Amino acid sequence: MKIVIILMLLFILFSLGSAMFYLVKGQGKSQNTVRFLTVRVVLSVLLFLFIILAAHMGWIETQQPAFLRP
Amino acid sequence: MSEASKDQYYVPHLAKWPIVGSVGLTVTVLGAINLLNSENPGTPWMLYLGFAIILLMMFGWFGEVIKESEDNLYNTQVDTSFRMGMIWFIFSEVMFFGAFFGALFYARTFSVPWLGGEGTGLSTNEVLWNGYEGVWPTNGPGDLGGRFELIDPYHLPLINTLLLLASSVTITIAHHALRANNRSQTIIWLIATVILGAVFLFYQAEEYIEAYRDLNLTLSSGIYGSTFFMLTGFHGMHVTLGAIMITIITIRVIRGHFRPESHFGFEAVAWYWHFVDVVWLGLFIFVYIL
Repeated sequence: MKIVIILMLLFILFSLGSAMFYLVKGQGKSQNTVRFLTVRVVLSVLLFLFIILAAHMGWIETQQPAFLRP
Repeated sequence: MSEASKDQYYVPHLAKWPIVGSVGLTVTVLGAINLLNSENPGTPWMLYLGFAIILLMMFGWFGEVIKESEDNLYNTQVDTSFRMGMIWFIFSEVMFFGAFFGALFYARTFSVPWLGGEGTGLSTNEVLWNGYEGVWPTNGPGDLGGRFELIDPYHLPLINTLLLLASSVTITIAHHALRANNRSQTIIWLIATVILGAVFLFYQAEEYIEAYRDLNLTLSSGIYGSTFFMLTGFHGMHVTLGAIMITIITIRVIRGHFRPESHFGFEAVAWYWHFVDVVWLGLFIFVYIL
């Protein structure tokens, strides 16, 4: 399940990077920056929901110091 | 100064703000060093003074640039140079967080397992750190700072993730509203973003208090404590900076500085806020959960 989280993070980084590209390139007329930023937010919310689900279902384990492990 | 033409590069007058910023940063760093290295630091006045000088520089410098922009001193060449400036600024930010995330990943994946005897570290473990189990999270074989507990990621960090995600949603709504030339909606959602950012910072401070008081998790808790506080602390400073910038952008929207087809200042700050939120997602996942 970790791979799903990593892949979603990569997609988020890609949309953030694309928004940056159009921010620097565009002259404010293009809708691309705001579009990619919107995609970025939607993906982040989905990732957040997935993490909650994964934790609830026991798909991912939370880290613990060695002396607290069972 | 008269209005600049399209092909003529606007050369700014002699600016005092870069040297004010340098002095502010130096005083801040000296104050931080003093705070971290003295046995009984007391009130860190030098650190506060440094922050105050940096704030003064931000308001002064932002104010001058905004005034020059509103006076139509900037042409397309200056516009391009602002965009290039944004690229280099973000490049330095990515490198900055890359270094701290890199330190975290390197310690977790390589150095801590080596000290525990994995790979080529077998003799290191047997001779130097016999009995040390190289498992993350750890304060290292020297047990620096003593035993510590971790912050429950599904309590304050979860709330903070929700707050910051919500603030990204609100700034995106503001962004769409600005493009639709709806100024009142833009202002409302920008104010909501600043409030959400401020509440995030409040809970972050709560979390630090809890870590120091109840969990014995401090900056001295070995490699875990250092990476944890450096990453989350510098992120918190970025949220602070972002919130200040959004506040200034909100004032500019109130004064009618931006147009649907021309609002680079707004877009750059909005992008920065998204960047800070993505860094937090990385922290939430790699520092708190996995």
